[in-house]
Amino acid sequence: MAPSNPLANWERLGDSFYRKVPIYDAIFDEDIELENYIIAGAPYGGAIALHRDESKPYRFRDAQTTKSSIDIYSCSGKLINRLNWEYGTIRGLGWSDKEELLVITEDGTVRRYFGLHGDFTSFSLGNGAEEYGVRGCRFWTSGFVALLSNNQLVVVSNYDEPRPRLLAPCPEGEVSSWSLIPPAYTLSRSVEVLLAVDKTVYLVDPTEAEDKVLQNGPFKHASVSPTGRFVALITAEGKVWVVSSDFQSKYSEYDPESRVTPRTVDWCGDDAVVIAWEDEVHLIGPNGVAARYYYDGTVQVIPEFDGVRLITNDTCEFLHKVTDVTEAIFRLGSTSPASVLLDSVDLLEKKSPKADENIQRIRPSLPEAVDTCVKAAGQEFDTHWQKRLLKAASFGKSVLDLYNSDEFVEMTEKLRVLKAVRDYQIGLPISYEQYMRLTPERLIERLVNRHEYLLAIRISEYLELAADKIYVHWASQKVKVATGDDEAVCKLIVQRLDGKPGISFELIAQTAYDEGRVHLATQLLNHEPRAGKQVPLLLNMEEDEIALDKAIESGDVDLVNYVLLHLKSKLPLASFFRTINTRPMASALVETNARSQDTELLKDLFYQDDRPIDGSNVLLLEALNETDLPRKTEKLHLASRLLSDSKDPSVVLQQKLLSEASQLLKVQEALDKDLADRTEFLGLSLNETIFRLIRSGYGKRAQKLQSEFRMPEKTFWWLRLRALVAKRDWGELEDIGKIKKSPIGWEPFYNEILGAGNTKLASVFVPKCTNLPAEEKVEMWVKCGMIAKAGEEAFRAKNVNALELLQTRASGPAAAEIDRMINQLRPRK
Amino acid sequence: MAPYPGSDADYFKDKARRDLLTLLEGVRGKKNLIVSQDLAGPVGLFVKFSLLQEYGVDRVFLLENGNVDSSQRNVVFLAHAEKLPQVRAVAEQIKRLQRNGNIEHEISIFWVPRRTLVSNTILEEAGIIGDVNIAEFPLYFMPLEQDVLSLELEDAFSDLYLHKNPGCIFHSAKALMDIQQRHGYFPRIIGKGDHARRLADLLLRMRKELDAEESSGLAGVSARGLLPSATTESLIIIDREVDFGTPLLTQLTYEGLIDETVGIKNNQADIDTSIVGGATTVPQTQESSKGPQPASSSKQHQKRKIQLDSSDQLFSQLRDANFAIVGDILNKVARRLESDYESRHSAKTTTELREFVNKLPSYQLEHQSLRVHTNLAEEIMRNTRADIFRKLLEVQQNYAAGADPTYHHDAVEELIARDVPLPAVLRLLCLESCMSGGLRPRDLENLKRQIVQAYGHQHVLTFCALEKMQLLQPRPSSTPTALLLPTAATTTTSTTTGSHHHQQSASSRTNYNTLRKTLRLVVEEVSEKDPNDVAYVYSGFAPLSIRLVQCVLQKPYVLSLVRGGPVATVAPSPASASSPGWLGFEDVVKSARGATFSIVQKGDDKAVRARQTISGAHAVKTVYVFFLGGITFTEIAALRFIAAQEAPRRRIVICTTGIVNGDRMMEAAIEKGSFAKVA
Repeated sequence: MAPSNPLANWERLGDSFYRKVPIYDAIFDEDIELENYIIAGAPYGGAIALHRDESKPYRFRDAQTTKSSIDIYSCSGKLINRLNWEYGTIRGLGWSDKEELLVITEDGTVRRYFGLHGDFTSFSLGNGAEEYGVRGCRFWTSGFVALLSNNQLVVVSNYDEPRPRLLAPCPEGEVSSWSLIPPAYTLSRSVEVLLAVDKTVYLVDPTEAEDKVLQNGPFKHASVSPTGRFVALITAEGKVWVVSSDFQSKYSEYDPESRVTPRTVDWCGDDAVVIAWEDEVHLIGPNGVAARYYYDGTVQVIPEFDGVRLITNDTCEFLHKVTDVTEAIFRLGSTSPASVLLDSVDLLEKKSPKADENIQRIRPSLPEAVDTCVKAAGQEFDTHWQKRLLKAASFGKSVLDLYNSDEFVEMTEKLRVLKAVRDYQIGLPISYEQYMRLTPERLIERLVNRHEYLLAIRISEYLELAADKIYVHWASQKVKVATGDDEAVCKLIVQRLDGKPGISFELIAQTAYDEGRVHLATQLLNHEPRAGKQVPLLLNMEEDEIALDKAIESGDVDLVNYVLLHLKSKLPLASFFRTINTRPMASALVETNARSQDTELLKDLFYQDDRPIDGSNVLLLEALNETDLPRKTEKLHLASRLLSDSKDPSVVLQQKLLSEASQLLKVQEALDKDLADRTEFLGLSLNETIFRLIRSGYGKRAQKLQSEFRMPEKTFWWLRLRALVAKRDWGELEDIGKIKKSPIGWEPFYNEILGAGNTKLASVFVPKCTNLPAEEKVEMWVKCGMIAKAGEEAFRAKNVNALELLQTRASGPAAAEIDRMINQLRPRK
Repeated sequence: MAPYPGSDADYFKDKARRDLLTLLEGVRGKKNLIVSQDLAGPVGLFVKFSLLQEYGVDRVFLLENGNVDSSQRNVVFLAHAEKLPQVRAVAEQIKRLQRNGNIEHEISIFWVPRRTLVSNTILEEAGIIGDVNIAEFPLYFMPLEQDVLSLELEDAFSDLYLHKNPGCIFHSAKALMDIQQRHGYFPRIIGKGDHARRLADLLLRMRKELDAEESSGLAGVSARGLLPSATTESLIIIDREVDFGTPLLTQLTYEGLIDETVGIKNNQADIDTSIVGGATTVPQTQESSKGPQPASSSKQHQKRKIQLDSSDQLFSQLRDANFAIVGDILNKVARRLESDYESRHSAKTTTELREFVNKLPSYQLEHQSLRVHTNLAEEIMRNTRADIFRKLLEVQQNYAAGADPTYHHDAVEELIARDVPLPAVLRLLCLESCMSGGLRPRDLENLKRQIVQAYGHQHVLTFCALEKMQLLQPRPSSTPTALLLPTAATTTTSTTTGSHHHQQSASSRTNYNTLRKTLRLVVEEVSEKDPNDVAYVYSGFAPLSIRLVQCVLQKPYVLSLVRGGPVATVAPSPASASSPGWLGFEDVVKSARGATFSIVQKGDDKAVRARQTISGAHAVKTVYVFFLGGITFTEIAALRFIAAQEAPRRRIVICTTGIVNGDRMMEAAIEKGSFAKVA
């Protein structure tokens, strides 16, 4: 086949060229009358969805064709799948960039078909959609906006967790056309909508609807350029305007000289507008220059970010701007180095010496020429020209001493992938730029969705990408279609996937389960290495105990809690407890959660497990939280009664302490009644009660409590000492000091009283501390400021050193006294 | 602690900051931030409030206060998705916002450290899951210092030992996986304690799952993850319950004592302004004025937040020193500062003068820090000189040294009668129980009764909790030593990922009586000024936990210590390849509670060797020491002491679930309610 002329179908538009590349032919059957269909094409050369427009009359053929459906074709016209449609009038048909088909019906139901084969999720738009009805929808790569018949706009910006929300309320009036600016290109980072109402256009975002105050409406079409910078409008007079998206400046105006309003207005890249009628397409460039194309049949326009796809029954074409590199090489009369380089290859093949001459001539700019050839190769759809350009680059490279070939190598890799997927049997007419944006991973995903597993695996191996998802998808598909017995299917799958890393058997098992093959699902699940992954499916399969065990095995507390929540709501309490009580981690978690949530459950649990102390503790805790005294005591009694049967000494002690607690509360209640007219004692500890009684001068009552509660003597003495000091009851303390013996000794008296600042009284206790060494007592006297007494103490102990130390601190008569003592002790010379 | 380039600390700090800011950026415009109490502090470790403001945060509320208002349309919640009460609180407040607000809120939740199934369920039940944007904030390790990574899980201790909730083990495993993914697998995992064993098992399991998940098989693009690290020597995991005794003792390093007296949280201490003076500059006040609690000037005792980390040079010098010598250091610094200051008089030429002026700011900073620490040290001194502190310490040290505890019950009873704070008393009881294998039942009963009478009968619950944690137990009536003899069982298993070698000994209690001798825990002659053994951190008692680490890292030293020969100069043992794991100490460590293990994580041999050739002479390898259940400042100090000795050969990075001390351990058990609650 003769190579096509690289300049074929070039069209000059102002300063730049556009070209229309034919990609496939013989797309649709004659039967399909494109004019009667609503058509939506997935971005990046993706699938095309066709749905017959029910508002248009059509020729009756047979029962089959009258059945409403959504047909999904590849761009080369291969039918991928047919979805029967019986869910009402479709008001929105569009694609996400993950090639998910979105179908919005009049009542606001959104169906999201993923994987091209009829699997779908659905949700409702809400926000009055049901009441008012959906009028139309506009899509962007990851969301859409629905226009309701009451002019409200509902946005869905995420399909995984769809959260439909309203934009600002819009003015009433007839909406003649509308369009949206994707969130990535707005200042507010939320989607914004252009709504042509009456003569003007409103810009609507989540907070307000701003009137752009235009006079030339009603606008029959509004379309926003791919980067959101420009808007194309069709005025009431049928003229095409291109304005900036803030409506501040008008860039061009074009008169299509047609009384019929165009059917569609789209952007071809960011620089040109495509308007289309049934069989006529105008390409409008800057400053209103235009190119016109005519067709025999109906032409449908599918916009891409870097051009448009034009689909007729016979052809699929890609119309796009000729890039600078391509233009530099192929433009008639081009003398650019790259162009010369390409010529040189021809000359070289003809063994002409001029080849070298040419090369020498462009030598200084040869590296750029090579770069340009490599880049231009990417732009070509025709393999002949790809090869020529790469050959030219290779030739140029060989002349250069130093050239980084990475880009060259990468380009050859990319072109191989592109060639494979552009094949008409696959039907992905993706351009180089689109491939770069789509990424190889998602291209592979698309192949998998088309069940092109072999090609997908080949490409992933070629590009060194993970292939696990391909295998999992294959296996899931196998599960769906396989009719053999479960063992055989499982064996087949396991064999095929053996040694492949990262395989999620859980997903395959999920498919099996969804297909109703529970046994197969269980078998497959056993091959899942990640315990945690198995849990949700096991729960679905009602394999509760296994699910719980797997969750525990995974060590993930969240997973265990999740299973427990599930089980608790599902099982009767008794069997729930039975399930958990052989699993310590599970019961510990139930216990912890119940503690803050559900004490009744806790009591039941402890009762069932025969844990009286824990059960009693719950009641004790409730007693603490109770604000009403009788109920406090009642709970305490209940707590105590739970323990009454046990002989275990620690339980017996606990029970004793609990009854002591109620006893104390009773006493305190009485004290409050007798001594204070508000609650002063209630709830204090025994020690605090006694301390406060003594401090308030009720020593007798304190003593009574001491014996009643069998408080150790020492403790009581300490309390009395501290309370009396706090009360500054020096008299009483002095009286106590007259007693012969104190169970806590007298040193504490000295310390506490001294600490309170009464040195005089403190000193009274120094001589009573008979068991302390003399040095300490000396120090004690000193602290009381009684140097003379300290001296006596030291003298008695015959401690000269201490005396000498004291000497330095003494003054007045004490000094003389100490001198005397020192002299007395010192042996005379 | 010279910061090494690309250290884990810097990495995790950067990552946490970047992650949070990216999330905040995702919420356009101004927003109010509601953060849970246990995250508010940690967040301060890696991002300043002023930076949050730059990212549109207008006001910060505490989740627990429940006082979010509708002043901003955007509301962002930052909370733990693994803590159910927090999840419920978030759900409740979102519902409240939706009910009250006359504006429609845009609500986002950033779940730390991940979005959980249960949080989904709770939000679903509350009917709001469709109205909120949910994102994950994978916050695991936060650097407290260059050599300390903490998960800052406040509840880890109580969760693990009281509620038996192993959530923090999973959390720790995830965090350690982060390290493994950064550096490669730990070539060896050594550990002690049953929970430690569980953590190691989780690590092995996660590695297997990651291997399965890592879809690299086709070309081995990221084979990196499959290899043992060339820069890491090992991971040592110490379960807190192996050594409950150590944290029960009063910490005697400067930082430890600050923690004991005023408490340190997220590298900060709230200190009364009467002690450290008011804030002269504005280090943290901004946060508090706009932050959670609007600074209430009505409070008489204003607290000031003091940053305690290595940004304060003086503090770096002081923190790990025994408190006994802190005064000396402070004096020295004061004198040096003064002479530096005086140098201005000798400055003659203008250049000299200019030099002095240039240094002025740093002098002032140092001066300020000196004043703070002098005052703080004085305050601590006042406390340590008090009669009660001395009594407490005396009892503690006797217990630690293994003296007959019954002799000291009188002292304990006196302390109870004198109404010292309950945690201090409980610490003594628990310490006795830990150190001598339980209390005699009669003594325990008697002390329990006295404590309940002194502090309130609600503490019946406190005792139940302590017993559940096995911190306080009656001594079995039969001869105690017979029961404490460990029964050992050794098992060796191997799996496909490599060969494991581990021993398990099923000791149910740590026998300090044995270990005191076999690991020489008591080193009375230790010098506080010029320490020659880790025992300096408790003035003569070496933490068991640290001795265990030494059994792995400093075998010759421990051996010479025990034999009592010439106190070893820490002999250079090049990366203990010759005797790895517990080798040489297998029998000794059996006396400590729980499983003992040493696992080799092997990778593809060829790849390992290739890797070693590439990375070449990586002389200094890192040892990660992970304290599961918490670490004390004294233990950190001791590990740093070891790290300094090991510096030429290895580097030690301390990891933990959080900082713990005796009081905090007790607080986990202490019942907060009281009978006084009346309508």
